[in-house]
Amino acid sequence: MSGDGHAFLGEEFLTWLWFRLDTAGGDFDLGEGRSVAVAIDDFLAFAPRDDDETEQTLRKGLPTHSQEARAALRNGRRLRKAKLIVAEGPLQYGVTLDGTTMGLTGIKLPEDSEECESAADRSREHAANFLRLHDLIGQLYGLFLADRLRPDYLSTSGERQAQWMAS
Amino acid sequence: MASLRRGGSASAFFLGGDLPDPQSEAFLAALERQRFRTIEDAASEETSVGWVCADDPSGESFPRETIDLDAAIWLQVRIDKKKLPARWVAIYRAAAERAAGRRLTGKERKALKEDLADKLLPRVLPSVSIVDVLLDPAHRRVLLFSTSKATRDEFGTLFRRTFPGVELLPGDAFHWATRTRITAEQRRYLDEVAPVKWPTQRRTEHAPPAETARDAIEVDA
Repeated sequence: MSGDGHAFLGEEFLTWLWFRLDTAGGDFDLGEGRSVAVAIDDFLAFAPRDDDETEQTLRKGLPTHSQEARAALRNGRRLRKAKLIVAEGPLQYGVTLDGTTMGLTGIKLPEDSEECESAADRSREHAANFLRLHDLIGQLYGLFLADRLRPDYLSTSGERQAQWMAS
Repeated sequence: MASLRRGGSASAFFLGGDLPDPQSEAFLAALERQRFRTIEDAASEETSVGWVCADDPSGESFPRETIDLDAAIWLQVRIDKKKLPARWVAIYRAAAERAAGRRLTGKERKALKEDLADKLLPRVLPSVSIVDVLLDPAHRRVLLFSTSKATRDEFGTLFRRTFPGVELLPGDAFHWATRTRITAEQRRYLDEVAPVKWPTQRRTEHAPPAETARDAIEVDA
């Protein structure tokens, strides 16, 4: 199995990220003394449970705190897309992650540093920041997979997440 | 000199195999073989897809000082499409039908379209779209600044033509997972992992007991 058959993993990743933020805070230890802070911003889209259901989208305000979002979780829906704020040290990124495709949309890189004096400098910094954002999302995904691919996942973290979703 | 964007949307790809060293002549030669070629004067409906760079959208040169951004190689894919404008075809067809006093047959419509193609297409400018690409050979990945399926397909075809020995894999949940630091055992499990079927809860005042939740989290076979 490969490719499209694993699209659910991206959606489970986003839902896990929300669970993790809600229950353990938004700081993630990436190892080697590095950490990243993550928050969910003002856009969420829930995947339909099957082809007959509609996709539910919540925008503006604090959608993670809304009744509609809680109801979707109680109904066992996974997040399909979420707008994230990702910060590593002084660098803050905005991005909407599509869990189904793992595509990154609406990327906002950190402000240019003071060292950027020319178009070439800006291009170098932007390229490095795009790749760094991709790395950070990949490292967060790696943390999720380390949990999700454990043999006892369903009876440990998976069960805690089920209770959180039902609460 | 233009600078690389500071935002937008991106699709990632992973590379199976090594790109030629971007500092080598072989790398530039590969780009030049698949550089963009204009269809400005073409007299037929055509699409042209090829490499260009920010400083030269014609595709005739790839100055190292523009494309080498240290962390990545910055290229652009230029996609030009020349099509017979549908509105003009409709105008000419209406005029022909008025003159004939009847609707044109299928054969006549086809002949009219071919005639218009000869007459109009050399005067029609192609639509142009230019998409940024960052190649990161050290980490065997590519960021394409588009999430459109059509653009990803065009890019995939161009990339494979340019670097035929290098596999281009989509940066989806599966292939991205294989690039993370999972163990060999987890890698094996990845092939067969199935979605968690989260329980559908009726509204209750309290969370269900753990047993209920455990029973409900069945993995689809």
